[in-house]
Amino acid sequence: MTVAAAIPPEGPSAAASSDQAAVLARYDELGELLAGMDDRPAADPELWGPASAALLHEARLLDAGRFEDWLGGWTDDAVLWVPLSTPAHPGSDQSLLLDDRRRLAERVEWRRDPSAWGQQPPSNTTRIVGSVEAWPAPRGLVTRSTLLIDEHRHGRQQQLTAFQIHELVGDDLRRRTKILVVPALGTGVRNPSFLL
Amino acid sequence: MTAIDFEQLVQPHRVHRRLYTDPEIFGLEMTQVFAASWCYVGHESEIPEPGDYRTTTLGLRPVLMTRGRDGGINVLLNRCAHRGTVVAGEERGCAKRFVCPYHGWTYSPDGSLVAIPFPADHPAKDYSTLSLGRLATANYRGFVFATLNADPEPLECWLGEAQEALDTIIDRHPGGQIAVMGSPQLLEFAGNWKLSWDNAADGLHATFAHHSYNTLGETVEVETVLARDPGSTPMLSKALRNGHMVVDQRPGIPQGPWATMRDVPFREPLESTLAEAGATELLDLATGSMLNLSLFPNLIFVGNQLLVVEPVAVDRTRLQLWLTSAPGAPPEIDLLRLRVDEDFVNFGTPDDLDMFERVQRGLSIPEMEWIDMSRGLPDDSTADGTVYGPITSEAPQRRYLAHYAELMTTPAKTRAL
Repeated sequence: MTVAAAIPPEGPSAAASSDQAAVLARYDELGELLAGMDDRPAADPELWGPASAALLHEARLLDAGRFEDWLGGWTDDAVLWVPLSTPAHPGSDQSLLLDDRRRLAERVEWRRDPSAWGQQPPSNTTRIVGSVEAWPAPRGLVTRSTLLIDEHRHGRQQQLTAFQIHELVGDDLRRRTKILVVPALGTGVRNPSFLL
Repeated sequence: MTAIDFEQLVQPHRVHRRLYTDPEIFGLEMTQVFAASWCYVGHESEIPEPGDYRTTTLGLRPVLMTRGRDGGINVLLNRCAHRGTVVAGEERGCAKRFVCPYHGWTYSPDGSLVAIPFPADHPAKDYSTLSLGRLATANYRGFVFATLNADPEPLECWLGEAQEALDTIIDRHPGGQIAVMGSPQLLEFAGNWKLSWDNAADGLHATFAHHSYNTLGETVEVETVLARDPGSTPMLSKALRNGHMVVDQRPGIPQGPWATMRDVPFREPLESTLAEAGATELLDLATGSMLNLSLFPNLIFVGNQLLVVEPVAVDRTRLQLWLTSAPGAPPEIDLLRLRVDEDFVNFGTPDDLDMFERVQRGLSIPEMEWIDMSRGLPDDSTADGTVYGPITSEAPQRRYLAHYAELMTTPAKTRAL
């Protein structure tokens, strides 16, 4: 059967499952969170403290290579999204990565594999988190912060600036959503596999 | 021409490190190879409307691909005829006219000069000699190629036997419709551009360099990247004329391309939608064709991505990875492609980038001059010049470098039309 002949006249999307609708809704949620960030009002100063603590803790875990502990701080419906440019939508634009909980776990496994040459030897990173803003959200809070990542590997240094958006949920502020926007991805970076 | 002896540097069984480290050779390559050969510039789907444009480089030269008012595609040198200013500064956009920001010289999308401010002061009355430089351009089923060669061979001749593989890749898309999505991944490595070319048809490296990807998650019981036992696989490599190369993985994957795919984010709901509609045959479209085609010197088909090799310096290269879509297929296919193609880029490509940089560092040692490329010799070519071999053969590398040496020693006349 040819590919063209395999397409039902009405197209499979006409029978799109509710599961698929949930995927598209999650993608829209991510796209809207990114697109609406610049229009948000001034942040809630009451949330600055807990938001900063959560973001700084994450940065410290990543810089220390404590990836399993970092993985434990995500919800089951987690998404880490690194778009290539802005504006962007995860359902229509190529991304550097969009991980669900399963692929996040595989990413941690990959970081521990001695034959994963892209990160063997591993990058030595220092993250500087700044300009933290936070707003209340239905399940917790949403934050925007800036990030400077200094990376050393194979005797070379690379510095990337970024901003990151987090959706932190529950009393323990677990990461449900993280969007990492690295402008240098639009011009070319060396081996970005240290980005998390 | 040059005093560099390429016959000495490119031998049948080995090549010299200078090809990868000598800035003089790199400078020559930018004209002898990249300006004088057909090169891939972009896909017509990136510029659907009149006035649409995209910028890139061709052998370090800033170029501009535009859609003219007549619907035709132009590839132009992005350089004002006045003082040399790069006229279009954005990566992409839509413009009725290109106005040089320095002194206001104005060009139409086909490159013609249409206005000079204060024309009474300028002696030119015939603007036809003051257009943007124009490249010979050919559009093969949506893929736009261009060259500065003053007397280029027809594109179909240049493609040669590679045309069949290119048709196979295009025709697997319903209606033969293939398009390119917006922003590419841009990855740089501190190494020479030919390292990515040496790697493109290297069927042996995956067993070692990509070992971690082949075992990651361990959810797939078939071959993932090339073959786990490359010495016995029925996959084959082909070294074609003009430096083009093919690695055909299909004989080693009788289950079809989708069977090779690991679990990727949101796979199950999209897959089940296609299953409910009785269209699971389409899932093979969500992953690559398993036919790795490389069109020398700058376009490599890998997965569903177009990998464009962009030299920056003798020891610096930028890879552009453009994801293709299948406009004639149901939307689930492109939704899957987004997650499928970022999988290897995240867990496989970093291996390649690391190997390229390791090789470049190793090649800095002057006392070790040679790179061995003898595996699979002697080459046994067919009447049309194609060399077939197992995927462990280094025939593709030998043959593209032989073609490269020919280009480097043939006086090239390049010009803008």
